Amino acid sequence: MSEKTEYLIALFDSVSRVMHAERILRECGIPYKIVPVPKHISSDCGVCIRFLPEYRERIIQSLDGKTEILEIRAL
Amino acid sequence: MSETINARGLACPQPVVLTKKALESNDEITVLVDNTTALENIQRLASSAGCSVEVGSEEGGVFKIQLLKKPGASPENAVQPEYLPCDIDDKPAAGPTVFVISSDAMGRGNDELGMILMKAFIHTAIELEPRPDVMIFYNTGVRLAAEGSDVLDDLKSLEEKGVKILVCGTCVNFFELTGKVAAGIVSNMYDIAGTMSTAGRIVQP
Repeated sequence: MSEKTEYLIALFDSVSRVMHAERILRECGIPYKIVPVPKHISSDCGVCIRFLPEYRERIIQSLDGKTEILEIRAL
Repeated sequence: MSETINARGLACPQPVVLTKKALESNDEITVLVDNTTALENIQRLASSAGCSVEVGSEEGGVFKIQLLKKPGASPENAVQPEYLPCDIDDKPAAGPTVFVISSDAMGRGNDELGMILMKAFIHTAIELEPRPDVMIFYNTGVRLAAEGSDVLDDLKSLEEKGVKILVCGTCVNFFELTGKVAAGIVSNMYDIAGTMSTAGRIVQP
């Protein structure tokens, strides 16, 4: 296991948006993972989408105009 | 009248209950307890009931508490003090912590939401302290351990950390996932029921 993999996370302003984005990413075959929003970012029961930096542009493009990413940041 | 109560080994709140009962008919009570929660709660009871308290030094894990009712005190009418909660000194129940994953969705209502929640739950389980000893997957829960599942990497991390993952064979067969289980071991009802019935704690998201 590569313990020190650097990931990015995409935050959304609602769980529905996360679910919508997940559907799109799955259809596009872009690797992603649903993870809880880290506690230091939000104490809400939130989920976000984690991915490798190399997929950043593809993710932004595939979601463009379909759902709104609130923020992309390092995990 | 005086009375001695041996409350050693008794589960909370028994020591307090017995002491309170004894106070109704005695002026002098000696209580033996073997944990600090019982000690503290009996002291609180005593002060609210108008008794003086003397605690002997601990001997072999046992405290000897002597209560003496002050003249005119009426414990029956005492306001109930705020007791320490009973679980404060409890050791975790003996036996393994078992996570039971009976569905691929967490909670009932909206399954799409439930699936998102379950993914987040399984991912979080890796970092939990204490970690589960065993995770059991049955019914649609087995999909999480099969090829194509989004949480296979999490389940593999859990296995690497020593978590035993049992996957219901009957369910694997039902969902036509035979040969596609990619994490854990395909198990049977004997193991599943046995593990659950000997668990110290069962967590079912």
